[in-house]
Amino acid sequence: MQHESKKIAMIVNELLTMLLLKGAGKIEVKINRQKHNTEIVMKQQQCDYDEMFIQNLRYNLNTQRQTEVEEYFWQLVGDDDNEDELPLVGTMVDEAVVELVDGDLYITVNRKN
Amino acid sequence: MKYNIVEEKNIGRFGLLVLLFLIPFLFLATGIGYAFVDGSIDNTIEGLKNIILSPTILFTDFIRVGGIGAAFINVAILGFINIYLMYVYRIKINGVLIAAFFTVIGFSFFGKNIYNILPIYMGGYLYTRYQKISFKDIIVVLMFGTALAPMISEISYSGFLPPLTGVIVAVFAGVFIGFVIVPLSSHMLKIHDGYNLYNIGFTSGIIGTVLTGLLRSFGIIVEPVSIISEKNHIVIIVLLIILFLGLMMTGIIINRRAVIDYVKIFSYKGRLITDFTHLMGYGITFLNMSILGFASLLYVIIIGGVVNGPVLAGIFTVAGFGSLGKHMKNCLPVVLGTIATALFFGYDLSDTSIIISVLFSTTLAPIAGAYGTLAGFIAGVLHMILVTNVGVIHGGINLYNNGFSGGIVASVMIPIIDAFKKEKRNAA
Repeated sequence: MQHESKKIAMIVNELLTMLLLKGAGKIEVKINRQKHNTEIVMKQQQCDYDEMFIQNLRYNLNTQRQTEVEEYFWQLVGDDDNEDELPLVGTMVDEAVVELVDGDLYITVNRKN
Repeated sequence: MKYNIVEEKNIGRFGLLVLLFLIPFLFLATGIGYAFVDGSIDNTIEGLKNIILSPTILFTDFIRVGGIGAAFINVAILGFINIYLMYVYRIKINGVLIAAFFTVIGFSFFGKNIYNILPIYMGGYLYTRYQKISFKDIIVVLMFGTALAPMISEISYSGFLPPLTGVIVAVFAGVFIGFVIVPLSSHMLKIHDGYNLYNIGFTSGIIGTVLTGLLRSFGIIVEPVSIISEKNHIVIIVLLIILFLGLMMTGIIINRRAVIDYVKIFSYKGRLITDFTHLMGYGITFLNMSILGFASLLYVIIIGGVVNGPVLAGIFTVAGFGSLGKHMKNCLPVVLGTIATALFFGYDLSDTSIIISVLFSTTLAPIAGAYGTLAGFIAGVLHMILVTNVGVIHGGINLYNNGFSGGIVASVMIPIIDAFKKEKRNAA
């Protein structure tokens, strides 16, 4: 896959922008890059998102990997601060887990190379 | 983007493919039937030959060049090729794909045929071999990317090269276009931030300008033509009504609440990529496509226009993008801006070139969706001013001329609007 590093950076960019626009103050990002898979874990401390927001994140990030959409549109990810491109991120990742644990939001996405 | 919880029947990927298959099948059956009723099977074959051997440059209406039967069969051939690719490569039938498919169907009435699209697909295939990626990954781009197909026909048949040399040079040009269209189209998105829905029209406009400039440097004249059908055919209008009614019924059958929940679609701005099949479900998406299709057809009939090849391309593209960002609320301001400008400059609204400018102006619908009615109206005004002038630059080899104009409008407007916007500061 071409531009792999850039694509990973843009996925992080999109998720980070979304949380910052929501008013997040403390965010931790961990990227675990291996030979065949990249895992991105994002943690926002002490947030008060409602269940609808969490469901929305889960649904949009689990669109299903669609390489044909990714190949064409990936450069739009993280590009706009008017509206999120979460469904597009969803087409670029194989699996996404969104959890709210003790008031902290965890977003974990996995992308196979 | 907020999704809506929808409960609808799952007709599966194969069911969706069958639905799409029915469109070219309908045209094939009507085309063959028309040839029999007309008693002119030989004429239809001759018409098909004329379509394939014409330079196909803007505006070459296949209904005029080959007749209704041949034009319908051409639509069916191109439709079946793309359905076959979707089936073999197991592509998910999403909003992007539906929009691409409808665009191909529409432009098979003017500009695209089996001869001039294949070299572009071949170039795309070579790109995937070179980059070691699957051909599946670029099919959508290639479906849209055949916007430059007239380049191949123009080099082959306009007579400025000996026939065999012309064909060889044309095939090479097509392969080159197919090779570069994927990286270029992805890159061009950044220029307008996804606010021009016909992004490949913008990309093709740039490539077309370079290639036409090259040809003109050799003293070869490439200019738009106007070979269009000026008579309405009832069979075409009836077929469109059947098709859009079919889409509407399918939408309501899939999702029984489609009509009630339809208004929720208006909350989406429509910027690329707003895939309604993902956000609203297939039922509401089909209903939206049907409404946009009917609205386009009604507009053409009310102003006394002719439903010919270019207009059919416009209607099909508007309906197709009803799965990818367009709805009545974000389309109307842009369309009104375009119509108002046409009236201001004294253009004839029923003229084919003006009709398609109005229909295709909806490429800028996301501007109205994101920045409001006034911004949408201004986008329509600028589009009308620009679209009547940019065709000359690429000599008519870019079929998506409105996408080219839309890209320029969006790339100028968005940074200016953003400059006036005041950012809301969120508390940390």
